[in-house]
Amino acid sequence: MSLTKTVRRRAWRTVTYVLLFLWAFIALFPLYWLLITSFKQPIAVFQGPKYLPWIDFQPTLNAWKFLLTGPNHAAVLRDWRNSAIEAISSAVLAVSIGSMAGYALTRFSYKIRFLKWKNKDIAFWIISQRMLPPVVVVLPFLIMYRVVGLVDTYLGMILAYTVFNLPFAVWIMRDFFASLPLDLEESALIEGASRFKAFRLIVIPLAAPGLVATFLFCMMFAWNDYLFALMLTFSRASTIPMYIAGEGSQSYGPQWWYLSALSMMAVVPMMIVAVFVERFISRGLVVGAIK
Amino acid sequence: MILVFSIFPLLFSLVLSFVNWDLSRLSGGIRFVGLHNFAELFTDHRFWNTAKVTAIFVVCGVILQYVVGLSIALLLNQNVRFRRFFRVVFLMPMMLTPAAVGYLGRMLFDETQGPVNDLIKHLGGPIIPWLSNSVLALPTLILTDTWEWVPFMIIVLLAGLQSLPPDVFEAASVDGASTFQVFRRITFPMLLPTTVTVMLIRGLEAFKLFDIVAVMTGGGPGNATESVTWYAYLTALTFGRLGYASAIAYILLVMIVIFSLVFLRVMRDRIAATQ
Repeated sequence: MSLTKTVRRRAWRTVTYVLLFLWAFIALFPLYWLLITSFKQPIAVFQGPKYLPWIDFQPTLNAWKFLLTGPNHAAVLRDWRNSAIEAISSAVLAVSIGSMAGYALTRFSYKIRFLKWKNKDIAFWIISQRMLPPVVVVLPFLIMYRVVGLVDTYLGMILAYTVFNLPFAVWIMRDFFASLPLDLEESALIEGASRFKAFRLIVIPLAAPGLVATFLFCMMFAWNDYLFALMLTFSRASTIPMYIAGEGSQSYGPQWWYLSALSMMAVVPMMIVAVFVERFISRGLVVGAIK
Repeated sequence: MILVFSIFPLLFSLVLSFVNWDLSRLSGGIRFVGLHNFAELFTDHRFWNTAKVTAIFVVCGVILQYVVGLSIALLLNQNVRFRRFFRVVFLMPMMLTPAAVGYLGRMLFDETQGPVNDLIKHLGGPIIPWLSNSVLALPTLILTDTWEWVPFMIIVLLAGLQSLPPDVFEAASVDGASTFQVFRRITFPMLLPTTVTVMLIRGLEAFKLFDIVAVMTGGGPGNATESVTWYAYLTALTFGRLGYASAIAYILLVMIVIFSLVFLRVMRDRIAATQ
């Protein structure tokens, strides 16, 4: 009895590992494919799938050279830099405003008389913004921006992404501040510190992990966005997803080796972010807020 | 202030949906047309097709992602080695730029140069026209989307599993319940609230389908994969009809609200029935 039980448990463990590694393979293989394709020569792409560098095909740096020094390198680098600037600035803005709003929503009580709303309702209203399909929001943005001249500017894109990310930032930070102990803050207030000083010197350092996690998420959303960039930019402030999408619709057909290198440029920063974000997720920081 | 910022675009686009406004003549050219945009929408076959495509994408995609995500979360919830490795790797796809993921999908599912068909060929199968066949293109999009979003399911469901009280499971194993019984009678019912949450969040996100359509198929072949957002985008920027595009966007919003309400109602009854 106990013998068959151990055998069965062993078998189950093996199945578990096989399945987990299978999914790890499914998750990683496309990334591997992206990486090797960016080192392929056109001929190695057209001859049908080749899997192993040096064995199946001779890797070259041509695609990367073309990307970084070729005739379009200025546009590529500009879009990459734009992506970075817009993602980072909007994430900083969203986190700073979002943390203040989140803090206020946990420490003070508000009432909106004519709607009979309290904090909880305000918070729900804010997060409900996130559920709107962006296409509903982006058309008015387009018209407003045309009128005030914000189309295709950094400021316009940063503002758009900040508005887009704020609900998420407020929601997470509110959840996070609610879980922080009150006494340190209160003793600072008794010692005569102002609210803002207490917030800056005591609450912010305590909330640092939450702030970092929120920052990374907001940055990811802005970096990965395509719809806003497509609608609101065309050249000066356009971003790397725009460049990728534009390259693929050329009349001579997509050039996979080149597109792969380009995609790598978009994807690698986010892979690094993923490694950091995982740490926060496994500590249960963000998941509570998603609910 | 946030209230103002968020409510203004919403009202503005509602107003927009009642007018006829040409993108090329922004100042001037506004004409109030009342419900005309909506009336046109109801007889627009192309629009109804996009609504159908989006609905299929949401329902099939979310169910598939949930099933795969839950299986992996259950596997990971045991005492396994290399846990951190798995968690980082499993998280990765969802962090990636959807536009790049779309290309990746196109490369992998390429008829002659892609590794997926190569694998099928080696297993003795036929060459499958993943993206050029109007029946298969949508499932291919769903598969790509599933690859990207299963991680989200894994993360939230795993957290849900880990927050279940351990004593119930101990009691069940003392009583000699089989693994399958434990799952069906205890784990699954207790996980239902989390299930509702993830499915709702993912469903709401999936309704916004745009990026991978734009990159992988451009709505084609024909208009087999045109999503509502894609159609609204075309209407606004290519056809230059801002009012009509707003009407489309608003109907999408209504679809989403109806979906959420129906889904929540059904799930609430299910939860009530199990407890």
